[in-house]
Amino acid sequence: MATKEEVIGYIKTLAEQKILTRDEVATAYDSGSKIKVDTILARKLGIAEILYYIGGAIIFLGISILLWQNWTILGFGTKVLVTLGSGVAAYIVGLLFSRDEQIETVGSAFYLISALVMPIGIWVVLDNAGFKTDSYASQSFISGVMLITYLFSWLAFRKNIFILFSILFGTWFFFNFTGWIVQGNPLFDDWKFSMYRVLVAGTAYINIGYAFSKNERAPLSGFLYGFGIVGILGSALTLGEWKPNQNIFWELIYPGLVFGALFLSVYIKSKAFLTWGTLFLMAYIIKITSEYFSTGLGWPLALVLAGLSMIAVGYMSISIKRKYLT
Amino acid sequence: MGYIRKNITLIIGIAIPVLMIIFVAVSIYLPGIFIEPKSNFLYISSNDGYNSTYKYTIQNKKLTRSELPITKNSPRVLKEVKIYIHDIATNKSKEISFGEAQELNLNSNLVSPDGFKIVHGGRSDGFFPFFIWSETDYSTFYVQGRSISKKLNLILTSLSYDNFRFIGWIE
Repeated sequence: MATKEEVIGYIKTLAEQKILTRDEVATAYDSGSKIKVDTILARKLGIAEILYYIGGAIIFLGISILLWQNWTILGFGTKVLVTLGSGVAAYIVGLLFSRDEQIETVGSAFYLISALVMPIGIWVVLDNAGFKTDSYASQSFISGVMLITYLFSWLAFRKNIFILFSILFGTWFFFNFTGWIVQGNPLFDDWKFSMYRVLVAGTAYINIGYAFSKNERAPLSGFLYGFGIVGILGSALTLGEWKPNQNIFWELIYPGLVFGALFLSVYIKSKAFLTWGTLFLMAYIIKITSEYFSTGLGWPLALVLAGLSMIAVGYMSISIKRKYLT
Repeated sequence: MGYIRKNITLIIGIAIPVLMIIFVAVSIYLPGIFIEPKSNFLYISSNDGYNSTYKYTIQNKKLTRSELPITKNSPRVLKEVKIYIHDIATNKSKEISFGEAQELNLNSNLVSPDGFKIVHGGRSDGFFPFFIWSETDYSTFYVQGRSISKKLNLILTSLSYDNFRFIGWIE
């Protein structure tokens, strides 16, 4: 039996020779330590899996169109059965399929159907009860119920897909609930308030993604990093506004955010941070050049400067990717 | 303590949106506890927009009215508008006669002596994540100033954009 030091040394040698990858070591560790890896979101999607999800989305479309075309003909009971009933049924089918690892992915397609159809079911119930269904209050209720449902599902079954749905419904709830608190209040600029909410949601996504990157929920990190960094950089760029209404604070802090994203891409090994950081840096260069330098230096010279800056940014991005992320 | 340290980024990630909800709620409701608008005001509302029989003005702090002539350009049947007094403390409006309104001392400034003005509310529609429709809501009014705003329960006789006309603050 080899000692721990010998094994680590052997892994080091194999890694240097590029025979062993980090993932293979992690998989071997997980297998030995009896950590049950949730494969639904970890597995790379093949044609079959893509078809499962497309099938799920088409079933959702079918139910929606059935409801829309026959809204006046169908009674309340039928509407609830078609929506809430089929949503609950799809959830149960998903649970049954998830028990067998061979058909676990089919189960996740049924979870997708339930997540899409159940909100419509609750919407039908609220509509029948006389509530204004497109109001912030109704949407907060629907998203809140769905959030609680999937949080409890995760607590009970510990599946990553329930975490994913909890995050999506949680985001929906966050936007609607804050909209409900503020609704119509003239103290809040609707547009700016929306941007701040996107900023907050993006920050939350990145923090949660980083926490997940260190455990068995790591497959969700890529999704959270991607949407999180787009949310932060997109909202910060928008909050900077345009001359003469520009916001100096956001325009000045923005380069810090972009370079922070590029630096973090190396630290957390995220290609999403690098890609979006690069794209948003290019967007910032174009914005600032056209905003401040198009009149002083002349538009053609400004364009040349912007082009050169973008080539430099692109080169830097590829260098970082080659050196640290591959 | 060990759990918190181990999951600090997860806790921060969940706490940030929760803190924003709390911050928004507090910024709306908390100042209202300490700052109260105090000036009552007079307004008119008509179910026929500006087609009033009278033109209302304030002269020497008193409400006056002059009859509008029916001309070729305005052959419509002109209607008398209703005058309301709004009690800001109870947030309720009460209809009063022109005679009663004439007895009041009025200030026609748009901003009240205690620093408030009356503004329209807003309305935004759409399903998540498409909250792109945002517009003025002509059926809701707020009294706004000194970092607070409170929704007013006015009596509006129509939902058209010219359903409300502010006359003056009562002194």
